[in-house]
This record gives sequence, C-alpha cells and structure tokens, in this order.
Amino acid sequence: MGSIRSTYESDPDMLEIVREFAAELPSRITKLEAHLAAGELRELQTLAHQLKGAGGGYGFPQITELAASLESALKQGAAAPVVKDRASALCELLRAVVVPEAR
Amino acid sequence: MNPEVPNPNRVLVIDDSESIHKLVIARLRPEGLEVFGEVDGERGIERAVADQPDLVLLDIGLPNVDGFEVCRRLKEHPATRGIPVIFLTGTADTESKVRGLDLGAVDYVTKPFDQVELRARVRAALRAKRLQDILEQQSHLDGLTGLWNRRYLDQRLESELNVARRYGRPLSLVLVDVDHFKRVNDDHGHLFGDIVLQGIAEGLRAYARRSDIVARYGGEEFAILLTDTNLRSAMYVSERLRSSAENRHFEARTEIVSVTASFGVSCTEDLAAELTPEALLKAADLALYASKDAGRNCVHLYRSGELLLATGNPNALGSESGEGR
Repeated sequence: MGSIRSTYESDPDMLEIVREFAAELPSRITKLEAHLAAGELRELQTLAHQLKGAGGGYGFPQITELAASLESALKQGAAAPVVKDRASALCELLRAVVVPEAR
Repeated sequence: MNPEVPNPNRVLVIDDSESIHKLVIARLRPEGLEVFGEVDGERGIERAVADQPDLVLLDIGLPNVDGFEVCRRLKEHPATRGIPVIFLTGTADTESKVRGLDLGAVDYVTKPFDQVELRARVRAALRAKRLQDILEQQSHLDGLTGLWNRRYLDQRLESELNVARRYGRPLSLVLVDVDHFKRVNDDHGHLFGDIVLQGIAEGLRAYARRSDIVARYGGEEFAILLTDTNLRSAMYVSERLRSSAENRHFEARTEIVSVTASFGVSCTEDLAAELTPEALLKAADLALYASKDAGRNCVHLYRSGELLLATGNPNALGSESGEGR
C-alpha cells in the first residue's frame, strides 16, 4: 500500500492536530491488534467506532470507510475470519499514514 | 442587576474521543467561541450544570451513560434545561436521530462532520439560544419602565429570603407609591402619567445601589429589594430615593409638574413575625400607609411592630450605634 496523507495537511488550522492524530496511530494499531488477539470484541468495536468518527474529520476518509466496515461486522456479529480480515485491513491502512512535517 | 452584556458563547463537547474534542475546537475556531470538553457522560452533566455553556455537542456512543441518557438528564435538570443540545452521531440511522430530537436535542451532525455544516448548525443553535435568553429576560421585565416586574421580584424575594435565613444576613424591602398619581393622570392625561412613571423609575434605578433589585410592583407602586442591608441602611437609601423623586420635574403642556412619593421600609431583622415574603411585604406596606397618613412624601420604617418616621437623621432610629453599608 502506498502512503496515505491527510487532505487537510495544508490547512493551517488543522496541521498541528493532524500531526498529533497521525502520530498516535501506532498506539491505536497496537490496541486494535491486542483486542483482536484477546477476542475483546466490545473494545475492538469502540476503537473502530472512534476511528470511524474521527478519520474523515482529520482528512482520512479511507480510515472512516474501513473502520465503519469493521464496526458493522462487529455489530452484526460476523464470523471471526471476517472480523480478522477487516481489522487487518484497517491496521494496514493506518500503518501507511504519513505524519506531516511541522511548519 | 440590569440586563447584561453577553460574553463570547461557550460550547461544551461531550465525546469519549479526545480526537473529536481537538477537531471540534479547531473547526469552531473561526466562530470565536470558547470550547471545552468532557469524555464521560456523568462528568459532562456536572460540567454543564456548573459551567452553564450556551450549547452542548453530545456524542451518542458514550461509555457508561450513553448520549441519549445524558440528553434526557440535561433536559430534566432545571439548571441545564434551556441549553440547546446538538448530537454528534457516528450512526446516521433515522431511529437514532428521531430519538435524539424527541429527547429535546435541537439538531444533529453526523461524524465525520463537514466543517462548514458544523459551523452553520452551531451558529443556528446559538442564534435560537440568544432569542430564548432575551425572551426569558423580557418575561422578567416591566414593559413601561424597563425595571424588573412583580413576578421577578416575588421570585427573588423568596430566594433572597432563603439566603438571609441561612446565613443570618439582613434583607430589607422598600415599597414606594407615587403620591396623588390619579390626580396627575386626571389633570394631564395617561400618556403624561406614563412619562412620570418612567421618570420615577429612572430615578429609582439611578439612585439605588448596584446590588439593589428595583421593580415596578404594579400601577404606580414600586418595590426595591436590598440584599445584605439592615433597616438603618435601607432608610438612608430610601431617603435618597425620596428626595430624588421630589426633585424631578416633568414638562406638561402648559406647566412644570413635580410629583412626590411615599416610602415604607421593612427589614428581616426587625420583623415581629416569622421570616416569610408575606410578613416582609406586609410590614413594608404598613410603613408605606403610615407615610401616606402622615401627609405623604416621607419614609416610614417598620420596626418590631412600631412604625417610625425616618428623617434621614440617625437619631430617628433611637440610640443604637453602628452603621451598615
């Protein structure tokens, strides 16, 4: 996967908080993977829900899209492999996010 | 105690995600609002009660107490009932929107939100809140004079009496009645009578202290609630108000008219009866009637069952020393 950049990087009001958001993603990935491994589906759903709500707002509509897909799988009680696939796809996307340079 | 200048609007964000707080703060920056946040429903309610924001942006999917419950409680609590709520919802389903609106929310924004839309919805909610605040204030004002009205004075009398009882602080009440007002109306017409009432009201407001609550109590009668004020201090204030009324002149068509007013003063420290709004009002009313009987344009005090003519001279209150504010 190529690198993912926020569509708001050039917005001076947004740059600082986009940087913070992007910089925090590795810790979210760690949490996502830990909850997935432990079968903690409620916690996983909360994380997915938060990423869905915030992603697009920070200029990452793809995050909202994949997080929504994970959340809906969890909501519907989808089979474990489906949840695992969608969580992995989300984590892969998050890893591709680039922290913009400070200006 | 007069209508206040509005401060910048304050917005409380209740959302379990700090990322959303930061986003909302950044996106609302152009509106010049003060934005602050809580991540938990219970804390959010406490914050709303304590800090009285002008608007609450409320997430539905909160842990523990969910957004619907928070909204229900905000709308139930007298201190937060009037604060508009906009739901920030991650779930765009109709059922959630309807449920939120039926619980008393004014609007909703779906996350991820469009910044332009968020600002427009926030502006709309704040506009409505401003009108609501004005209406509420006007329902407490007297239309002719701009003073507080009787309903407001009665409410404040009740609550200030509770404060006075609890902390043992004196509370005084002054009743004022314009002398021979019927004659003014008969001689110069009702429009002129209104001008006189407005002038008297202006004088009362100008010569009362900032903390005094000045109301039109009905017809040509006014009432002033003086918090943290003993009978002696209330007497001085009343004497000043009386002389200001006497020195005010009104231009009628063919002549200059001056009017006078009679005053009755009571104080919680000098009631023979239990401390109730009725007892305080009755005592001031008795003192007012004593002023009328004594020839008008004077101040009488009710002191433990006695009615005393105040002259502005401290000796009128006997030999006690010590002076209030």
